[in-house]
Amino acid sequence: MRPGTTLLKIAPVLFNERFIASVVHPTIADLQSEFDAAEADRAKRLRVLGRGYAVFWMLIIVAPFASWSDNRSDSPTARLALGSAGVAVVMVVTFGAWTALLIVAAGTLVALLIHAWHERHPSEIAVLPERRWRSPQINFSSTDVGGNAGGLIFVVGSVLIVSLGLPSVFWFLLTAALAAGFVAWGLAVWHRRTQEEDWTSAQRRRRQLL
Amino acid sequence: MLSKKELLILERLVADGPLYGLQLVERSGGALKRGTVYVTLGRMEAKGLVESEQEKPVPGAIGLPRRIYRPTALGERMLRAWATFTREIAWEVKP
Repeated sequence: MRPGTTLLKIAPVLFNERFIASVVHPTIADLQSEFDAAEADRAKRLRVLGRGYAVFWMLIIVAPFASWSDNRSDSPTARLALGSAGVAVVMVVTFGAWTALLIVAAGTLVALLIHAWHERHPSEIAVLPERRWRSPQINFSSTDVGGNAGGLIFVVGSVLIVSLGLPSVFWFLLTAALAAGFVAWGLAVWHRRTQEEDWTSAQRRRRQLL
Repeated sequence: MLSKKELLILERLVADGPLYGLQLVERSGGALKRGTVYVTLGRMEAKGLVESEQEKPVPGAIGLPRRIYRPTALGERMLRAWATFTREIAWEVKP
Protein backbone atom coordinates (compact mmCIF):
# COMPACT_ATOMS: atom_id res chain seq x y z
CA MET A 1 0.00 0.00 0.00
CA ARG A 2 1.29 3.48 -0.90
CA PRO A 3 2.14 5.72 2.07
CA GLY A 4 -0.58 8.26 2.74
CA THR A 5 -3.44 6.07 1.47
CA THR A 6 -4.97 5.84 4.95
CA LEU A 7 -4.55 9.56 5.46
CA LEU A 8 -6.43 10.18 2.21
CA LYS A 9 -9.30 8.07 3.55
CA ILE A 10 -9.35 9.97 6.85
CA ALA A 11 -9.06 13.43 5.23
CA PRO A 12 -12.73 13.82 4.11
CA VAL A 13 -13.83 13.34 7.73
CA LEU A 14 -11.58 16.12 9.00
CA PHE A 15 -11.32 18.64 6.16
CA ASN A 16 -13.50 20.26 3.53
CA GLU A 17 -13.06 19.54 -0.18
CA ARG A 18 -11.20 22.74 -0.99
CA PHE A 19 -8.70 22.24 1.82
CA ILE A 20 -8.14 18.64 0.71
CA ALA A 21 -7.51 19.68 -2.91
CA SER A 22 -5.20 22.60 -2.14
CA VAL A 23 -3.37 21.41 0.98
CA VAL A 24 -3.86 17.74 1.84
CA HIS A 25 -3.32 16.30 -1.64
CA PRO A 26 -0.07 18.24 -2.31
CA THR A 27 1.20 17.29 1.16
CA ILE A 28 0.58 13.59 0.57
CA ALA A 29 1.95 13.86 -2.98
CA ASP A 30 5.18 15.24 -1.49
CA LEU A 31 5.25 12.41 1.03
CA GLN A 32 4.87 9.79 -1.71
CA SER A 33 7.41 11.51 -3.94
CA GLU A 34 10.00 11.67 -1.14
CA PHE A 35 9.24 8.08 -0.18
CA ASP A 36 9.91 6.95 -3.76
CA ALA A 37 13.10 9.02 -3.91
CA ALA A 38 14.39 7.28 -0.76
CA GLU A 39 14.38 3.98 -2.77
CA ALA A 40 15.76 1.11 -0.70
CA ASP A 41 17.17 3.19 2.13
CA ARG A 42 14.99 1.95 5.00
CA ALA A 43 16.09 4.60 7.52
CA LYS A 44 15.44 7.38 5.06
CA ARG A 45 12.03 5.97 4.21
CA LEU A 46 11.08 5.81 7.89
CA ARG A 47 12.23 9.39 8.36
CA VAL A 48 10.13 10.51 5.37
CA LEU A 49 7.10 8.65 6.72
CA GLY A 50 7.47 10.15 10.19
CA ARG A 51 7.83 13.64 8.78
CA GLY A 52 4.91 13.23 6.38
CA TYR A 53 2.53 11.90 9.03
CA ALA A 54 3.58 14.64 11.47
CA VAL A 55 2.79 17.27 8.83
CA PHE A 56 -0.62 15.70 8.23
CA TRP A 57 -1.53 15.88 11.93
CA MET A 58 -0.28 19.45 12.06
CA LEU A 59 -2.74 20.30 9.29
CA ILE A 60 -5.58 19.32 11.62
CA ILE A 61 -4.55 22.14 13.93
CA VAL A 62 -3.99 24.60 11.09
CA ALA A 63 -7.12 23.78 9.05
CA PRO A 64 -9.70 25.53 11.27
CA PHE A 65 -7.85 28.81 10.81
CA ALA A 66 -7.57 28.52 7.04
CA SER A 67 -10.71 30.60 6.53
CA TRP A 68 -10.00 31.02 2.80
CA SER A 69 -10.75 27.34 2.31
CA ASP A 70 -14.25 27.41 3.70
CA ASN A 71 -17.32 29.55 3.14
CA ARG A 72 -19.21 28.15 6.10
CA SER A 73 -20.08 30.57 8.88
CA ASP A 74 -19.39 28.23 11.82
CA SER A 75 -16.66 29.38 14.14
CA PRO A 76 -13.01 28.22 13.97
CA THR A 77 -13.33 27.03 17.57
CA ALA A 78 -16.14 24.64 16.65
CA ARG A 79 -14.15 23.25 13.75
CA LEU A 80 -11.06 22.93 15.94
CA ALA A 81 -13.12 21.01 18.49
CA LEU A 82 -14.47 18.74 15.74
CA GLY A 83 -10.97 18.18 14.37
CA SER A 84 -9.62 17.38 17.84
CA ALA A 85 -12.42 14.88 18.40
CA GLY A 86 -11.56 13.27 15.08
CA VAL A 87 -7.89 13.01 16.05
CA ALA A 88 -8.85 11.51 19.41
CA VAL A 89 -11.01 8.84 17.73
CA VAL A 90 -8.26 7.95 15.26
CA MET A 91 -5.69 7.72 18.08
CA VAL A 92 -7.92 5.49 20.20
CA VAL A 93 -8.54 3.19 17.22
CA THR A 94 -4.82 3.17 16.38
CA PHE A 95 -3.17 2.95 19.78
CA GLY A 96 -5.85 1.30 21.94
CA ALA A 97 -8.37 2.13 24.64
CA TRP A 98 -5.73 3.25 27.15
CA THR A 99 -5.06 6.21 24.91
CA ALA A 100 -8.60 7.39 25.62
CA LEU A 101 -7.74 7.81 29.31
CA LEU A 102 -4.60 9.75 28.43
CA ILE A 103 -6.55 11.96 26.03
CA VAL A 104 -9.22 12.69 28.64
CA ALA A 105 -6.55 13.50 31.25
CA ALA A 106 -4.59 15.72 28.86
CA GLY A 107 -7.80 17.41 27.65
CA THR A 108 -8.90 18.12 31.22
CA LEU A 109 -5.50 19.55 32.06
CA VAL A 110 -5.53 21.82 28.99
CA ALA A 111 -9.10 22.94 29.77
CA LEU A 112 -8.11 23.81 33.35
CA LEU A 113 -5.09 25.74 32.08
CA ILE A 114 -7.21 27.68 29.57
CA HIS A 115 -9.80 28.42 32.25
CA ALA A 116 -7.12 29.62 34.70
CA TRP A 117 -5.60 31.80 31.98
CA HIS A 118 -8.99 33.27 31.13
CA GLU A 119 -9.66 34.03 34.80
CA ARG A 120 -6.35 35.90 35.06
CA HIS A 121 -6.59 37.61 31.68
CA PRO A 122 -10.27 37.92 30.78
CA SER A 123 -10.67 38.76 27.13
CA GLU A 124 -13.38 41.32 26.72
CA ILE A 125 -14.23 43.26 23.63
CA ALA A 126 -13.86 46.97 24.20
CA VAL A 127 -17.20 48.75 23.80
CA LEU A 128 -17.52 52.50 23.57
CA PRO A 129 -19.39 54.08 26.52
CA GLU A 130 -22.83 55.41 25.77
CA ARG A 131 -22.68 58.79 24.07
CA ARG A 132 -23.44 61.60 26.47
CA TRP A 133 -23.32 64.34 23.91
CA ARG A 134 -25.47 64.99 20.93
CA SER A 135 -24.03 64.20 17.57
CA PRO A 136 -21.76 67.06 16.46
CA GLN A 137 -22.96 66.86 12.85
CA ILE A 138 -24.45 69.98 11.26
CA ASN A 139 -28.09 69.65 10.32
CA PHE A 140 -28.91 72.28 7.73
CA SER A 141 -32.66 71.77 8.05
CA SER A 142 -32.61 72.80 11.74
CA THR A 143 -30.47 75.90 11.20
CA ASP A 144 -32.29 79.19 11.67
CA VAL A 145 -31.68 81.41 8.69
CA GLY A 146 -32.73 85.05 8.76
CA GLY A 147 -34.90 86.37 5.93
CA ASN A 148 -32.41 89.05 4.98
CA ALA A 149 -29.14 89.60 3.10
CA GLY A 150 -27.20 87.68 5.78
CA GLY A 151 -29.49 84.66 5.36
CA LEU A 152 -29.01 84.81 1.59
CA ILE A 153 -25.24 84.91 1.96
CA PHE A 154 -25.42 81.95 4.36
CA VAL A 155 -27.55 79.88 1.98
CA VAL A 156 -25.45 80.69 -1.10
CA GLY A 157 -22.25 79.99 0.83
CA SER A 158 -23.57 76.66 2.17
CA VAL A 159 -24.67 75.52 -1.28
CA LEU A 160 -21.29 76.53 -2.70
CA ILE A 161 -19.38 74.63 0.00
CA VAL A 162 -21.49 71.48 -0.40
CA SER A 163 -21.26 71.59 -4.20
CA LEU A 164 -17.49 72.03 -4.04
CA GLY A 165 -17.17 69.17 -1.53
CA LEU A 166 -19.65 66.90 -3.33
CA PRO A 167 -19.57 67.77 -7.04
CA SER A 168 -21.92 64.88 -7.81
CA VAL A 169 -24.82 66.65 -6.08
CA PHE A 170 -24.31 69.97 -7.89
CA TRP A 171 -27.31 69.59 -10.23
CA PHE A 172 -29.50 68.45 -7.35
CA LEU A 173 -28.52 71.56 -5.37
CA LEU A 174 -29.03 73.84 -8.38
CA THR A 175 -32.51 72.41 -9.03
CA ALA A 176 -33.33 72.62 -5.30
CA ALA A 177 -32.11 76.25 -5.17
CA LEU A 178 -34.21 77.20 -8.22
CA ALA A 179 -37.29 75.46 -6.77
CA ALA A 180 -36.69 77.12 -3.41
CA GLY A 181 -36.39 80.50 -5.20
CA PHE A 182 -39.79 79.97 -6.85
CA VAL A 183 -41.39 78.95 -3.53
CA ALA A 184 -39.84 82.00 -1.81
CA TRP A 185 -41.09 84.30 -4.57
CA GLY A 186 -44.61 82.79 -4.26
CA LEU A 187 -44.58 83.27 -0.47
CA ALA A 188 -43.38 86.87 -0.79
CA VAL A 189 -46.17 87.68 -3.25
CA TRP A 190 -48.75 85.99 -1.02
CA HIS A 191 -47.55 87.91 2.07
CA ARG A 192 -47.65 91.23 0.25
CA ARG A 193 -51.21 90.66 -0.94
CA THR A 194 -52.50 89.51 2.44
CA GLN A 195 -50.80 92.44 4.20
CA GLU A 196 -52.45 94.85 1.75
CA GLU A 197 -55.84 93.23 2.45
CA ASP A 198 -55.25 93.53 6.22
CA TRP A 199 -54.35 97.19 5.94
CA THR A 200 -57.44 97.90 3.90
CA SER A 201 -59.66 96.08 6.41
CA ALA A 202 -58.02 98.13 9.21
CA GLN A 203 -57.23 95.00 11.25
CA ARG A 204 -53.49 95.82 11.06
CA ARG A 205 -52.49 92.25 11.81
CA ARG A 206 -49.94 90.31 9.92
CA ARG A 207 -50.99 86.94 8.72
CA GLN A 208 -48.46 84.22 8.88
CA LEU A 209 -48.47 81.16 6.72
CA LEU A 210 -46.56 79.00 9.18
CA MET B 1 -0.55 43.79 2.28
CA LEU B 2 1.84 40.84 2.01
CA SER B 3 2.89 38.70 4.93
CA LYS B 4 6.54 37.70 5.33
CA LYS B 5 5.88 34.19 4.05
CA GLU B 6 3.85 35.41 1.08
CA LEU B 7 6.63 37.82 0.18
CA LEU B 8 9.23 35.08 0.46
CA ILE B 9 7.20 32.71 -1.71
CA LEU B 10 6.64 35.36 -4.38
CA GLU B 11 10.34 36.25 -4.39
CA ARG B 12 11.35 32.62 -4.82
CA LEU B 13 8.78 31.93 -7.54
CA VAL B 14 9.72 35.05 -9.50
CA ALA B 15 13.46 34.37 -9.14
CA ASP B 16 13.48 30.60 -9.66
CA GLY B 17 10.40 29.99 -11.83
CA PRO B 18 7.64 27.45 -11.15
CA LEU B 19 8.31 25.32 -8.05
CA TYR B 20 6.72 22.53 -6.03
CA GLY B 21 5.79 23.23 -2.41
CA LEU B 22 8.60 21.05 -1.14
CA GLN B 23 11.14 22.90 -3.30
CA LEU B 24 9.93 26.17 -1.82
CA VAL B 25 10.50 24.77 1.67
CA GLU B 26 13.99 23.62 0.76
CA ARG B 27 14.96 26.95 -0.84
CA SER B 28 13.54 29.12 1.94
CA GLY B 29 16.38 28.33 4.33
CA GLY B 30 14.03 27.21 7.08
CA ALA B 31 11.62 30.15 6.82
CA LEU B 32 8.86 27.98 5.33
CA LYS B 33 7.66 24.80 7.02
CA ARG B 34 6.24 21.69 5.45
CA GLY B 35 3.15 21.88 7.65
CA THR B 36 2.11 25.37 6.62
CA VAL B 37 3.54 26.01 3.16
CA TYR B 38 0.47 24.67 1.36
CA VAL B 39 -1.87 26.61 3.63
CA THR B 40 0.01 29.79 2.70
CA LEU B 41 0.02 28.82 -0.98
CA GLY B 42 -3.71 28.07 -0.82
CA ARG B 43 -4.40 31.49 0.70
CA MET B 44 -2.23 33.15 -1.96
CA GLU B 45 -4.07 31.25 -4.68
CA ALA B 46 -7.37 32.47 -3.24
CA LYS B 47 -6.01 36.03 -3.37
CA GLY B 48 -4.90 35.54 -6.98
CA LEU B 49 -1.19 35.97 -6.26
CA VAL B 50 -0.15 32.50 -7.44
CA GLU B 51 -1.62 29.80 -9.65
CA SER B 52 -1.00 26.08 -9.69
CA GLU B 53 -1.47 23.01 -11.78
CA GLN B 54 -0.89 19.33 -11.26
CA GLU B 55 2.26 17.90 -12.79
CA LYS B 56 1.80 15.87 -15.92
CA PRO B 57 1.45 12.18 -15.05
CA VAL B 58 4.54 10.14 -15.83
CA PRO B 59 3.69 6.84 -17.58
CA GLY B 60 3.84 3.99 -15.07
CA ALA B 61 3.96 6.30 -12.05
CA ILE B 62 1.61 5.61 -9.16
CA GLY B 63 0.47 7.91 -6.42
CA LEU B 64 -0.83 11.44 -6.33
CA PRO B 65 0.52 13.94 -8.86
CA ARG B 66 2.37 16.87 -7.29
CA ARG B 67 1.21 20.47 -7.64
CA ILE B 68 3.48 23.08 -9.19
CA TYR B 69 3.11 26.79 -8.39
CA ARG B 70 3.90 29.91 -10.40
CA PRO B 71 3.27 33.61 -9.76
CA THR B 72 0.37 35.33 -11.52
CA ALA B 73 0.70 38.72 -13.22
CA LEU B 74 -1.01 40.21 -10.17
CA GLY B 75 1.49 38.46 -7.88
CA GLU B 76 4.45 39.85 -9.83
CA ARG B 77 2.94 43.35 -9.82
CA MET B 78 2.29 43.05 -6.10
CA LEU B 79 5.91 42.05 -5.48
CA ARG B 80 7.19 45.01 -7.51
CA ALA B 81 4.83 47.39 -5.73
CA TRP B 82 5.90 46.00 -2.37
CA ALA B 83 9.57 46.42 -3.23
CA THR B 84 8.96 50.04 -4.30
CA PHE B 85 6.92 50.72 -1.17
CA THR B 86 9.57 49.34 1.21
CA ARG B 87 12.30 51.25 -0.68
CA GLU B 88 10.34 54.51 -0.38
CA ILE B 89 9.59 53.90 3.29
CA ALA B 90 13.27 53.17 3.96
CA TRP B 91 14.14 56.44 2.23
CA GLU B 92 11.51 58.35 4.26
CA VAL B 93 12.66 57.04 7.65
CA LYS B 94 16.34 57.62 6.96
CA PRO B 95 17.75 60.08 9.53
